[in-house]
Amino acid sequence: MEQRWSVEQVAAVAPSPKSVAAAEPLAVAARWSGLGADERAVWGRCRGSGAEPYETMADHAGVAWRCTCPSRRHPCKHVLALLLLWARGQVQPAAAPAGVVSWIAARDQRSTAPQTTVERGAGAGDEPVAGLDRPEPDPGADPAPDASPGAPDRDALDQSRDERIARMLEGLAELDRWLEDRMRTGLADPALARYATWDALAARLVDARAGALANRIRRLAGLVGAGPDWQAEVLAELGLLHLVAQAGRRLPELPGNLADAVATASGWQVRQADVLAGVPETDDWMVLGRSDTREDRIEVRRVWVRGVATGRWAMLLSFAAYQQSLDDSWAVGTVVRADLHRYPGDALRALAGARHAEALPFERVDGSSIADTCASVGDRVAVEPWIERLGATVRAAPTFADGRWLLTDHTGSLPLLAGPVALGALLTAADGGPLTVTVEWTPRGLVPLTVHLDDRTFDIGPRADPSFVGAA
Amino acid sequence: MSGAVTVDAIWRELVTAALLGTDRRDPPDIGVDELGDVVADAVRPDAASRMLAAVGAVTAARRAAFLPLPPAAPLMGAPPDPRPITPSAASATWREVVREWPVLEDEWVLAVIAAGYRLAPDVLVEALLRHRTDTVRRARVALAGGPRAAWLIDHLPALAAAGSRTAPAEAVASLPELATPPDLAELLPLDAHSFVRRLVPGFESGEYGQAHRAVLIHLLARCRPEVLPDTADALARAATGLSVALADLCRLRHRMLAELRATSGGTARP
Repeated sequence: MEQRWSVEQVAAVAPSPKSVAAAEPLAVAARWSGLGADERAVWGRCRGSGAEPYETMADHAGVAWRCTCPSRRHPCKHVLALLLLWARGQVQPAAAPAGVVSWIAARDQRSTAPQTTVERGAGAGDEPVAGLDRPEPDPGADPAPDASPGAPDRDALDQSRDERIARMLEGLAELDRWLEDRMRTGLADPALARYATWDALAARLVDARAGALANRIRRLAGLVGAGPDWQAEVLAELGLLHLVAQAGRRLPELPGNLADAVATASGWQVRQADVLAGVPETDDWMVLGRSDTREDRIEVRRVWVRGVATGRWAMLLSFAAYQQSLDDSWAVGTVVRADLHRYPGDALRALAGARHAEALPFERVDGSSIADTCASVGDRVAVEPWIERLGATVRAAPTFADGRWLLTDHTGSLPLLAGPVALGALLTAADGGPLTVTVEWTPRGLVPLTVHLDDRTFDIGPRADPSFVGAA
Repeated sequence: MSGAVTVDAIWRELVTAALLGTDRRDPPDIGVDELGDVVADAVRPDAASRMLAAVGAVTAARRAAFLPLPPAAPLMGAPPDPRPITPSAASATWREVVREWPVLEDEWVLAVIAAGYRLAPDVLVEALLRHRTDTVRRARVALAGGPRAAWLIDHLPALAAAGSRTAPAEAVASLPELATPPDLAELLPLDAHSFVRRLVPGFESGEYGQAHRAVLIHLLARCRPEVLPDTADALARAATGLSVALADLCRLRHRMLAELRATSGGTARP
């Protein structure tokens, strides 16, 4: 039989008398749904100021709580209101829902957990910091970050990082709730056609330091109504966002590289100095393709390179705001002996380190078949389903079939995404036969970047608007 | 999931259910095999959550296990053109001409034709797009592109001419005249020494300023090619803003003509 707290006990765990006062208006059953309690916990969903109700639960035996609201006060007013309701006998006994059971079970498993813990964000454990430490390696010269997460003498840097982690976890939890609401109301919901619907979520993700997801949400807004199959494309993207949100909230359970990849996909910022402090990958890097895309008010350049010795791909990113210049130091068609420093998680993205030789034109590039390209892309996408672009070099012929342009060989075909300039250069260079071409794989098709002929290379990748960037 | 077709069928059901929303339609059962296990293993308290998990799992499976479309028949090749394609350096120079000194483009294209080259694929496409509305220049590009130009336009109508007028053959084959005042036109037939001696003092004395820019460009775009290297050096030494810019024009014109005079730089493709 559960042992209910008194109202005085609830007030005793409140961070301040004002918190109890703020909780009182919420301590009415009409504000809650899914209320229940058992001998260990009390739970419910409270309608707050957010678009979705907050999921609130408290372990009244272990004195711990969890709420998905963004408040930084612990316990928050929702937890206090739930406890007040329960203390006043307004919460009926019920079987704990799965989420509460798993939370309690997870708490029980943690033998080292402190007596009173605060957890924020569904699925978050007590050790979220440990997982998120990986994408932000400690700089050797910086004494502060060496403190282990949760250590009693954390300095200000650790505290700031912990706050960032907490905010990001809140953001991921909020994203997942928002996604569930989309599933509930359906893609035919007129709200989806309003940019403000997406922009508001993106703004909250920016606040939560999940900038990469915010960008993804804004790009997703542009898909709504953009084509005959927009519903399927939007749904797939919502599914991938769900995977990132779920994985991001389980970082401590993930293998190291995957945890790093998830953190990066969520928008976790890694300092360039930390990346450059890592072990370099020295190789002769063939500069195989370049692709410029405008993202919001920034022009983004991706340069795809492949190591001659290792055959491994890497991607160098540069950015330019209005009238700034993009990095032109990696010319397509050249090979450069240089150090590259990959981002955490064996990422494709890398930073250029020292150059050991002048760039020279490369002589020969081998392309894969269409089927082999699909297989290698599939291998990478199986590990990181949310990945949006990959470099590949294929040997195939451009052709037109079933109303669309394709790259084809005897093993199969893949759709081409190209404007008339790139397509025209591809067709003319191929002259009806196969040719070697570096492409950027995207889920919607292949973007041709470079045509490799025996004696020359054509850079046909999407190019930044020269009126936007400076002397690039 | 045992096969791509099955995953696709489930995906279509998911899209249908997602359109209506789980408030109005239950999410489809995605089966009891590996994919179903992924969804069932998760803690899913309600239909929307189960739906979202299914969408994520099926999307990941479809992306990772995507298969190519069947092979398609390749296009018929263009009619043969035995001319070599323009050297890589010439293609790069064409871009520089278009960007910095477009007054030189007519001469560049005519030099390509005269040297027996055909346009490189990337230049051909960009030049066709660039001259959609100018019948004379477009005709020159078509000539330099050879049968591939017509073949390409057949496949990509976006590259077709904006109008249907034909250009006079004489205009296509000759450089357009550029307005040059008589005192400067007198310099056109001179040798390098005389040309420099007559032209450069005007910069040093301040006689030539920005008001003369257009006519000086015309002069240097049509003067004898032999005078270009010496003129470039002398203009650079004069060291006014205008003279330095015009020195660049001289050097570019000299380089473009030198590149296209070479006879073995191209690569013939059948």
